[in-house]
Amino acid sequence: MLTASRTAPSSSDLTELTIAEAAALLERRAISPVDLVQAAMERIERLDPHLHAFVTVTGKEARAAAYLAETRIASGDYRGGVDGIPFALKDNIETAGVLTSSHSKLRLDNVPAEDAAVAASMKRAGGILLGKTATFEFTAGGPSWDLPWPPAINPWSEHHLPGGSSSGNGAAIAARMVAGAIGTDTGGSVRWPAAVCGIVGLKPTYGRVSRRGVHPNTFSLDHCGPMARSVEDCAILLDAIAGHDPRDPGSCDEPVPDYRAALTGSIARLRIGLVRHWYSADAQAEVVAAVDAAARQLEGLGAIVEEVELPPLQDYVDCKAVISLGELFAIYGNELRARPQDFGKSMRQRVIAGGLVRAEDYVQALGWRTELTSKVFATFRRFDLLATAGWMSGAEANDPNSDDFVRKRLLVTMPFSLAGNPALSLPCGFSSEGLPLSLQLGGRPFDEATVLRVGEAYQRVTDWHRRVPPLGWATSEGARS
Amino acid sequence: MSDKPASREQIAAAAALAGIELPPEYFDELVDSYRRIEPVLKRMRQARAHGNEPAHAYDPRKFMPDAGST
Repeated sequence: MLTASRTAPSSSDLTELTIAEAAALLERRAISPVDLVQAAMERIERLDPHLHAFVTVTGKEARAAAYLAETRIASGDYRGGVDGIPFALKDNIETAGVLTSSHSKLRLDNVPAEDAAVAASMKRAGGILLGKTATFEFTAGGPSWDLPWPPAINPWSEHHLPGGSSSGNGAAIAARMVAGAIGTDTGGSVRWPAAVCGIVGLKPTYGRVSRRGVHPNTFSLDHCGPMARSVEDCAILLDAIAGHDPRDPGSCDEPVPDYRAALTGSIARLRIGLVRHWYSADAQAEVVAAVDAAARQLEGLGAIVEEVELPPLQDYVDCKAVISLGELFAIYGNELRARPQDFGKSMRQRVIAGGLVRAEDYVQALGWRTELTSKVFATFRRFDLLATAGWMSGAEANDPNSDDFVRKRLLVTMPFSLAGNPALSLPCGFSSEGLPLSLQLGGRPFDEATVLRVGEAYQRVTDWHRRVPPLGWATSEGARS
Repeated sequence: MSDKPASREQIAAAAALAGIELPPEYFDELVDSYRRIEPVLKRMRQARAHGNEPAHAYDPRKFMPDAGST
């Protein structure tokens, strides 16, 4: 870890800093936002031609914002949190004056006039936007090899993908191009890339963070959430973006605690329900072993862990599929009818059957959602938290000829998508191939503080999140060798 | 309700009613896509109780023209 000193830290030291570490140095004026932006830009220029994490890099604007922040902080006006910290936004989050493409040919010319609420919140808190990151098309269709930009690559292996749909965030954070980013999560799109890139992703409670200005996937399931290398950094990011927005009809007016202050490290006597049957039979054996071991480590920290049974994972996956199909087609159906050739194949295939979903099916699926989520919430009478796998495998292979693997898999992120409760994905091991594996924690609605507290306590006694991808293959030296 | 998967003709008819008139090269994608979701729809249509309040909520105050104005 870099410590404050009179000597200027090197560029690589700066990109290794977490948000919390960088903030401590900014507060002491041991570094400046200009240093952080410069180091990040150098790393992006070196790595992104291989990783494709960014759709747009806003280097000029970031440098200008960094100079302003430097002057302000030097004058004594330091705001804490994300002030002076470079960050990225998934490219379905609108940004004033900056292309917001949703990774689609259909939005190649979309330069919004206004910032989305989360973009505005981050900037108001002093964050410095470094760029817009790769996503699945409209956050639903992917991975795709027939879009205007290639899919992002997983920093842990050039032969693997970083999950999705917040794929660019996962790649950029794991590769130390940026320390934190905001993504969106409908069925797991923050948690999946976090899981397979070895970073942390939080889907907050539905309504906790405004979705105003975010290109929709499924209105009733869309969330915005933070992604970073540590749970502590996710708490800092959530502190910047959580809160009621009366201009988002899905937003809830609930008190917002200080999430970072909730990270006490103490989880003694906390009751955790382990939903083992969601992963024990279908996940890769290494995932099962890693998640089981993580549960034992939580016990070692003083938590009380017991297995709990819920409806089959397949029920949650199917229910979510019907709801999303209906809403996706309602949103994108007209463009699909008029310009089918301009969609990527994956998105076209994902959306098209939604035109044949009946209104009765959609309402039935919402009724099913009530039933399934009520069973999740009933467990919170006995437990403070639920734990399960973050993903069923390591990262998927980068293979354009593979079938659409998202539709063939049991997506263990979906129960908490349907329930709308907070869910955190964090690293809990590595496969024999060297790919990250993940634990998922789900909490009571609006109790992000407990979820983050448990995750951060786990990270105090583990070092999975501190491991660095072997990026030799993506550096100019490595690429030449 | 039939256990047989929908035929291409039935899918074409349903698509026409939904205003989906696709070039032939994309019709196969629709058939493939619908056949993946069809078993889910059938299972849900057969198995679901009808009495559950759907998981939707409508708060009219959130849709007032001045909602969010400061």
